[in-house]
Amino acid sequence: MKSPVRLERRLEQPRWLNWAIPVISLLGALVVGAVVLLATGKNPLDVYWRILDRGFLSQRAITGTLRTATPLAFTGMCAAAAFRLGVINIGGEGQLYVGAVGAALVGLWIGGSAPVGITIIVMVLAGMLFGAMYASIVGILRSQFNTNEIITSLMMNYIAGIILNYLIFNSRSYWRDPRSIGFPSGKPLEKRTHWPTYEIFGTSVSFGFLLAVAAAIVLWVIYKRSRLGFEIGIIADSPRAARYVGIRTKWTIVAVTAMSGALAGIGGASQVGDFAHYLDAKGLQLNNFGYTGIVVAALARLNPLGAIVVAVLLGGLTNAGYSLQGPDFPSGLVGTLQGLILFTAVAGEILTKYRLRSNRNTAKAVAA
Amino acid sequence: MAESAVRMTGVVKRFPGVVANDGVNFEVMKGEVHALLGENGAGKSTLSNILTGLYRPDEGTIELDGSTVSFGSPRSALDAGIGMVHQHFRLVEPFTVAENVILGNPETPFVIDTGSTVERVAELAKRYDMAVDPNAKIWQLSVGEQQRVEILKVLYRGARVLILDEPTAVLTPIEAEALFKTLRAMTAEGRTVIFISHKLDEVMSVSDRITVLRSGRTVGTVATKDTSTRELAGMMVGRSVEFSRAVRRNPGVSSDVVLSLTDVNCNDDRGRQALHGVNVTVGRGEIVGVAGVAGNGQRELAEVIAGMRSSTGGRIAIEDKPVLNGRARAAIAGGVAHVPEDRLHTGLAAGHSVEDNMALKNYRTPLLSRFGLLKRNIITTQADDLVMKYDVKTPDTGTPVRLLSGGNVQKVLLAREFSTNPKVLVAASPTRGLDVGAIETVRERLVEAADNGVGILLISEDLEEIMSLADRIVVMYEGRLVADMPATGATREQLGLLMGGATLEASR
Amino acid sequence: MNSNLFIVIAASAIFYGTPLFFAALGGVFTERSGVLNLGVEGMMLIGGVTAAWSSLHVGGSAWFTVLVALCVAMLAGSILASLHAFLCVTLKANQTVAGLSITIFAGAVGLSSYFANIWKVAEDPVTRQVRKLDVLGLADTPILGPLFFNHTILTYLSWAMCAVASWYLFRTKIGLQLRAVGESPQTADAMGINVVKYRYIHTMLGGALAGLGGAFYSLAIVPTWVDGMTKGAGWIAIALVIFGFWRPGLTLLGAYLFGALQSLGTVLKSRSFDIPGDVLDALPFVMTIVVLVLVSTRFAHKRIGAPAALGVPYEREER
Repeated sequence: MKSPVRLERRLEQPRWLNWAIPVISLLGALVVGAVVLLATGKNPLDVYWRILDRGFLSQRAITGTLRTATPLAFTGMCAAAAFRLGVINIGGEGQLYVGAVGAALVGLWIGGSAPVGITIIVMVLAGMLFGAMYASIVGILRSQFNTNEIITSLMMNYIAGIILNYLIFNSRSYWRDPRSIGFPSGKPLEKRTHWPTYEIFGTSVSFGFLLAVAAAIVLWVIYKRSRLGFEIGIIADSPRAARYVGIRTKWTIVAVTAMSGALAGIGGASQVGDFAHYLDAKGLQLNNFGYTGIVVAALARLNPLGAIVVAVLLGGLTNAGYSLQGPDFPSGLVGTLQGLILFTAVAGEILTKYRLRSNRNTAKAVAA
Repeated sequence: MAESAVRMTGVVKRFPGVVANDGVNFEVMKGEVHALLGENGAGKSTLSNILTGLYRPDEGTIELDGSTVSFGSPRSALDAGIGMVHQHFRLVEPFTVAENVILGNPETPFVIDTGSTVERVAELAKRYDMAVDPNAKIWQLSVGEQQRVEILKVLYRGARVLILDEPTAVLTPIEAEALFKTLRAMTAEGRTVIFISHKLDEVMSVSDRITVLRSGRTVGTVATKDTSTRELAGMMVGRSVEFSRAVRRNPGVSSDVVLSLTDVNCNDDRGRQALHGVNVTVGRGEIVGVAGVAGNGQRELAEVIAGMRSSTGGRIAIEDKPVLNGRARAAIAGGVAHVPEDRLHTGLAAGHSVEDNMALKNYRTPLLSRFGLLKRNIITTQADDLVMKYDVKTPDTGTPVRLLSGGNVQKVLLAREFSTNPKVLVAASPTRGLDVGAIETVRERLVEAADNGVGILLISEDLEEIMSLADRIVVMYEGRLVADMPATGATREQLGLLMGGATLEASR
Repeated sequence: MNSNLFIVIAASAIFYGTPLFFAALGGVFTERSGVLNLGVEGMMLIGGVTAAWSSLHVGGSAWFTVLVALCVAMLAGSILASLHAFLCVTLKANQTVAGLSITIFAGAVGLSSYFANIWKVAEDPVTRQVRKLDVLGLADTPILGPLFFNHTILTYLSWAMCAVASWYLFRTKIGLQLRAVGESPQTADAMGINVVKYRYIHTMLGGALAGLGGAFYSLAIVPTWVDGMTKGAGWIAIALVIFGFWRPGLTLLGAYLFGALQSLGTVLKSRSFDIPGDVLDALPFVMTIVVLVLVSTRFAHKRIGAPAALGVPYEREER
């Protein structure tokens, strides 16, 4: 009648859970993924080995992986920043597009004249500003009207995608290359606006990736040491306690959502400045960076430094997916694995609340 | 000799970190009102939850009418004839009375026949003299009426054993009398009532026999007519108790007003008016008791003074300086301390550490932060000092407050509130749910603060507490202050009538 | 406005609104039990791809094939929903993130796309479709014909389901108990109602209906498989549950309103109206936000009665 084990509430959360849960979740996802692969006639070991090889081991693999990890780190921090406050901003996708629009605008506008350093800084700021403003719509609706931010932020993703399509494919906008007639594309940015790349141990590291690391450190300090971080913690723990001490909850929600959007916005700016060097309407929408960011945030357990590590892991997976795509490595496989990782990460959170206990020693008494 | 209705033997129930029931023995006879007495945390609720199938015991046996039973779920307990009226009502708010009554009943037909259901519920209510409209929605009912619905629910299911968990906590004295009458009508029909309480007086007046629990163990069972409140109190606490009054050194001295409310109105969370033109003043060093049945605007009164809620009219002033309406930070800066009813989730952030909670009111001051960054080491020192000064039992200041006992939670809260050197303290039910030792400590702290010149507004449903601590008593009824009198002249009966809506003249 | 144009839009609103209604009705059942399901989009896509595959590969008469395809889609949706229920009800996980994980797992670039690839579903158009019927030969009747007598069998089914669902929720004992579980699981549990069972069953029912909605895309609207073909319909369905105040009838109206918005682009373009296509494409998403803002003000929230325990895991031994 009773199962051999039962869940027992944990009183305290030991520190080792912080790394144990992500590791267990990853392993769990690989096991479930193996079942899916086996059921569809693939050899899981072979698939996993190829992912490992193309994502992390083979020549220059890390370069590609870091390239993919850069936007993921930003969208991951974007999701984590909002989730920490209990605001489920899943609009990182759209905020990233809009950030790219902002950075491309600035790059096209002053890229030919302003000093290189200024141009790059202003591109980053424009990405932040555009992302923040786009996200703050979600934050304002949530704080003023109590509108469900999950759905609004998601709808804003679709709207951002339509804006991108309009700017590049369906209008003669400032962003569109007037020379592209048959197949419309974005206007290329001046060479001098391209963000620098650094060679570290034979691996190319983009300026954007370093920005992500810097942002993670700043966020970590905010959470651990600042008044804002303290207030975010109180609001997330108990909104009533926040009201009791007079924390401006509504203002904080808008500010944090804007900050969250700004992070995704830098990710978008980096797509323009680091990699594409034009507003790549199709490329931006192809990769689902925003949605994968949610996986990053969950697996990193909302820790910004963890988000960098997880972004590299998932970046490797995604990167391997690109280079392997073909008949025996169908598209959709990487997304499936990422979904499984999120799935097991969600399930793994149960370990923070409960621990497994054997039922054997108490079963007898109950049977009596 | 009466037959045994329920017999529980050697019941053990463990929760992570606590043994809630540690070998409890408990026997109830048919047709009696049997009180289960004990302090908060003595294991009364756990025992009743085991009896109603909500929890499974880790050890021990339960016999019903002489045969051993094992309940896997509340349903099996209900089917066996055991029904419970919980302290926190288990009612579906948007449903009607009749819908709540038939909920989960296996005899309800698949397609609900509203007409006949309403009829049967009305009949049952009439039989036990309970006034309630079967077609009313739960949220439209008063607390007393909601309790009647709870009782109807278990009666409708044919319960022979009814368990009532602290049923009078939410009732006016008059409603409580009506409840006792209903209970007697039920025992007269041969039903059995288990009455859980920690109030000695009412246990003495309603029960036939009493079983006392302490720290999860049975202390003993006595016949009500052979015992006294003093003996029961000794059994509950485990030592002989003096009902000491905390002594005021300089009672109600000053005529300086520290807090004044003039014609204050405000709304509740649903947007309905909760306070109607409230006028009250608190002098320096004075304790003003606010008596009233829960839900008559006390929470809104406390929140509006503390700046957590905006008033819709009137004036609130500290030492004659008006406070910014609805700004908690302004109220705190103006010298208002607030011990809210819900300590763990309003007064504190339960998941945060003791030291974070100690800093909750002053983390923005230059003492604890600069350039938006917190000085963590000073936060820790501040907490260390307060823990020492207020004798908080905690492993260290990094422990989350939700892991502390109720008494220590309240100490953390009081320590922090007094550390801000307040002029006014609004304390809502500051001793509710605490054990006797902690109650004494809290009361001493309140009196000490008043002696040091803090004006205290003490909101409480516990008349004993108000009568023993307050210098002046006001009574709240439906969002209005219906009386304002010196504590020395007030009687229990008079206050009870006022709390039930009688006018001051009528109560005399 | 040209009345003829109005009829065309109304008829196609019903057509495009039908899958939205199925998914939203599923959401009504799921949310009434207190479970928030943000995996609808993923469940619709899985329903769509499995239906398309079945339609291509199951033999027998056309009717039989389509019937099997619809059943397979519902089964696939409910299997996915059972995973969601496992996370939310058994493991008591965060329902929001659990639902997202389902959508990412099964969604546009996840399992549905993987299945489509390995089964090569997208290569052939689906020939055995859910087609519009000519009921009683009245399809060509002016005005009434396109509105009432020229729909797919699934649309007629959806009307029947709307009525049955209202009856089930508000007139039967099970419906009463279901609503109690969503409002106050503590109460339901104390009254001997099996909260876990109710939540599992209705979450799975919701998944089945989402799968059916997805099948409507791949068997009727497009009708062939395209990765991510529902284009956010699952999310709109979630908003529709709120818009419909958790009631089947109002949800049906809401679905047709959004169906109209979705069809507007196609209809107006075919009649060479000069409205930018992107604006029309964005309309349903903008409208969803507007509608949500309107119904989510505090005033409205109290009245329309969202299930009080929506999104809150139920734990019995809470101390």
